[in-house]
Amino acid sequence: MAQVIADRRDVDFVLHEQLEVGQLARHERFAEFNAKTVDLIISEARNLAVKEILPTQKEGDEQGVRFEKGAVTTPETFKRVYDLFAEGEWLAMSEDPEWGGQGMPTTVTLAASDYFNGANFALMMYPGLTHGAGKLIEAFGTEQQKRMFLKKMYSGKWAGTMLLTEPEAGSDVGALTTSAVPNADGTYAITGQKIFISGGEHDLTENIIHPVLARIEGAPEGTKGISLFIVPKVWVNEDGSLGKPNDIVCTGVEEKMGIHGNATCSMAMGSKGQCHGLLLGEANKGMRAMFLMMNAARLLVGMQGFCCASASYLNALNYARERVQGKNLMQAFDKSAPSVAIIQHPDVRRMLLNMKAYVEGCRSLLYYVGLCEDLKSVTADPAEAEKYQGIIDVLIPICKGYVTDRAFDVCSLGMQVYGGYGYIKEYPQEQLLRDCRITLIYEGTNGIQAMDLLGRKLGLNKGKAIMDLFGEIQKTIAAAKQIDATAEFAARTEKAANKLAEVAMHMGATAMSEKVLNAFGFAHPFMEVCGDVTMAWQLLWRATVAARKMPQAKKKDLAFYEGQLRSAEYFTNSILPITIGKMKAILNNNSAVVDITDEAFGAK
Amino acid sequence: MKIIVCVKQVPDTTEVRLDPVTGTLLREGIPSIINPDDKAGLEAALRLKDRYEAHVTVLTMGPPQADLALREALAMGADAAILLTDRAFGGADTWATSSTLASALSALEYDLIITGRQAIDGDTAQVGPQIAEHLGIPNISYAEDLRIEGNTVVVRRQYEDRSHILRAEMPCLVTALSELNEPRYMTPRGIFEAFRDRTVKILTRADLAIDDGNIGLKGSPTRVMKSFTKAVRGKGTVVELDARDAAGWIIERLQEKFVL
Repeated sequence: MAQVIADRRDVDFVLHEQLEVGQLARHERFAEFNAKTVDLIISEARNLAVKEILPTQKEGDEQGVRFEKGAVTTPETFKRVYDLFAEGEWLAMSEDPEWGGQGMPTTVTLAASDYFNGANFALMMYPGLTHGAGKLIEAFGTEQQKRMFLKKMYSGKWAGTMLLTEPEAGSDVGALTTSAVPNADGTYAITGQKIFISGGEHDLTENIIHPVLARIEGAPEGTKGISLFIVPKVWVNEDGSLGKPNDIVCTGVEEKMGIHGNATCSMAMGSKGQCHGLLLGEANKGMRAMFLMMNAARLLVGMQGFCCASASYLNALNYARERVQGKNLMQAFDKSAPSVAIIQHPDVRRMLLNMKAYVEGCRSLLYYVGLCEDLKSVTADPAEAEKYQGIIDVLIPICKGYVTDRAFDVCSLGMQVYGGYGYIKEYPQEQLLRDCRITLIYEGTNGIQAMDLLGRKLGLNKGKAIMDLFGEIQKTIAAAKQIDATAEFAARTEKAANKLAEVAMHMGATAMSEKVLNAFGFAHPFMEVCGDVTMAWQLLWRATVAARKMPQAKKKDLAFYEGQLRSAEYFTNSILPITIGKMKAILNNNSAVVDITDEAFGAK
Repeated sequence: MKIIVCVKQVPDTTEVRLDPVTGTLLREGIPSIINPDDKAGLEAALRLKDRYEAHVTVLTMGPPQADLALREALAMGADAAILLTDRAFGGADTWATSSTLASALSALEYDLIITGRQAIDGDTAQVGPQIAEHLGIPNISYAEDLRIEGNTVVVRRQYEDRSHILRAEMPCLVTALSELNEPRYMTPRGIFEAFRDRTVKILTRADLAIDDGNIGLKGSPTRVMKSFTKAVRGKGTVVELDARDAAGWIIERLQEKFVL
C-alpha cells in the first residue's frame, strides 16, 4: 500500500539520523524516550491517523458544521474519533505529567502531530486549541485555577479556545473593546463580541473553556490595558464540578473556503448581563501572556500548512507513479512505444522534486525548532538556554510565514500533477489546497510574520539571536564542505548565506533610517530569502548525513539517501540562484512600493 | 481468571509492495506488526480483564526482535509477557511451533488460552488447534464472539453461511478471528510503561521439557515440494453495460459455467 500523509522513512530520518533525538534520553527528563519507545509512539500515532482520522477528512469537508439556535453540530464522524484521540491521551503529549500531560520531547510530539494534522487538521484544531488554552492556564493560572481546569482540558474532556479577534480589532489587537467589570465575589462581568473564534462552540465536549482578552474598566488604551480572563461555557465550581451555563453564546458560524469541519464562531458575551470570568494572570498583562504562547501557536499553524503540503506531495507522487499518459519523450516518434507513467515526464519530475525539496526542508526545520525547545529544557547553562530561545524566536516567523507560503505553493503543484483531476472534488488535492490557504492568514498574517522578523527578531538580543542562527548554518556548511558529494552544494549555500548576512545588515540599517517604510516594504521578500537560506541549510544538513551513511548503507536505504542528495542538488542549483536575485532586489532598495500614491493604484 | 494469549510477529503485508518489473513481493524494510487475528485475541482477553479482572499473559515464539510485539501487547494492557527464543526453535513448521508453545504453556497456569485463527504470513490455521491437542484441552476455533458464563466459555463460531454457538468448559483454547473486535490503540503512557516498568521473561531451549525431535527445523515434518508465483492467465473480458444489464450478463456467464 502506498504511503499517505507523511513518508515514514523521512520522519524517521529526521528524528533519528538528522536530529538524533535518541540523544535526548541521556538527560534525566527524557530518560525513557529511547529510539524504540519513540518508534512505537510514532507507529501508533500513524495508525490512529491513517485508520481513524484520515477517513473523516473528506466527510468533514463535505458536511461541514451546522449552526442552529446557538448550537453547533460537528460532522457525524468527528465525535467518535475525537474521543479515541482524547482517551488515547494524545492531546497534551509534551506537557507536565503532574497536570495530565505525557512529558514527551517536543520533537517527538511534532512527529506524531505530523500524522494527526495531515490526516484532518480541521478536526485536530479542536484539541490543538484546547492544548493552547491549557498552556495559558498552566503558565499564568493560580494553583486553584490549575486544579479546576487543567486535567479536564489536557484529557480532552473539556475543550478550549482563544477569544481575541473583534470586528474592529484583528491584527490591531489593542483596539479591542470587550470590557470586564469587577464583581463583589472576585469574578468579572464580561461584555463584548468576538469573531473568527475557532471551536468557539461545538458538540464534542461537555464544556468549553474560553480564554478571553478584555479591558478592565478604566484600564489604559491600547495593548497595555488588556487583561486575560477564563470564561467557561458552563461555570466551573471551585471543586471542579459544573455549575450553571454561563452567558457566552455562539451567534453564528462562518462559511469558509476550507477547514469546513472546524466551527469558526461569532461569540457574544454578557448579552443578558450574566457572563462571568476569572482573571488569568495579572491585570493589564494579557498581551504579555499572549506573546509567551504565540511561539507554540505559530509553530502549530506552520505545522498545519506543512502537513497539507506533505499529504499533497505523497498523493501526487503516488498518482504520478500510477497514471499512464503519453509516451516517454525519448520515444515520442515511435508509434509502437507504450504509454508511460507520468512520473517519466521531465516537467512532472520537476514539480515532484520541487515539492519533495520543500516538504523535506520544512519538516526538518519544524522538527529542529522542536529540538531547540527540548535542548533548552534540559540544559543547566542559562547562556545556552538563551541561545536556543533566540534561535527559536528568529525561526518562528519563518516556520509560520515562510513555511505556509511554500506549503500553499506545494499544494498547488500537487493539484497540477493530477491535471484536470486535481481540480475536481473526487480527488483529495483541491481540499488540501483550500484547507492550507487559511494558514497563511490566521495566527498573524504572513505579512505580520515578516514584520515580526524584521521589527522584533532581527535585532533580538542586539542581533545575537540571528548571529547564533548563522553560526549553526555555518557549522553545517563547514561539515558539508568536507564531503565530496556535498561540497558543491555547501559552496552554493555558503554564497547565499553570506549574501543573506549582508542583506540582514542592510535591512537593519534601513529600518533605523528615514527609509524605514522601505524596509517594511521589503519585509516579506526578506522573510522569503531568510526562508530560502534556511531551506538550503536543512537540505544540506540532510544531504551531509545521507552522504556519510551511503558507503555502509543497506540496499533498501540507498534510494532514500540518493533522494537527499538530489533534493539538496536541486535546491542549491535551481532555487538558490533565484534567492540571490531576490536579495539583489532587496539591496537595491527601490521605493516604488512606498512612493506610489494611493490614487496611482488606479480604478478610481 | 488467568488468560494466556499466543501472538506472532509478522510482516505488515498491507505495506508490502510489488516489484513493478518482476511482480514479486518487496519485503525489505517492511515493518513488523502483531498478527491481526492474534491482536483481536489479545483485545478479547483485555476486555475480559476489564470486566472480570482477569490476568493476561502474552506469549510468543520468535527471534529476539519479537520483544517489540510483546511490548506492544504490554502497552495495550497485558500484565505479563514471555518470549520463547532460541536458535534451536528456528525453522519450525506448525507441528514444531505448536509443540514448543504447548511445552511452555504446560508449565504455566491458565483457564483460557486464546490464539489467532491464522497468521497473515502463513495462513495455515493449524497452530491453535494443535496446541489444544498437545495440552489435551477443548478447542473452539473461528471465534467471532466470545463471552464467559461461570466456568465456561461461550463462543459464536463463524462458518461461511452460518454461525454455531458452542460452549466449552475451561481450561480451553479459542482461536480468534480479526472480526471479533476492534483492538484498542496503545496510548503514549502505555508505551512508556511497557518499556520503562515492565520486563519480558525470556525462555530458551534449556527451559523447556521437550524432545529435540519436536522443535525447530529437525522437528518439522512439513516438506515444501515447490513454491511458485501464480501466473496471470490471459486478460479479462471488459464489457460496458449499465448496472441492470451487467448483472444479467454476469448471471448468464455463471450459468454457462454451471456455477448457478
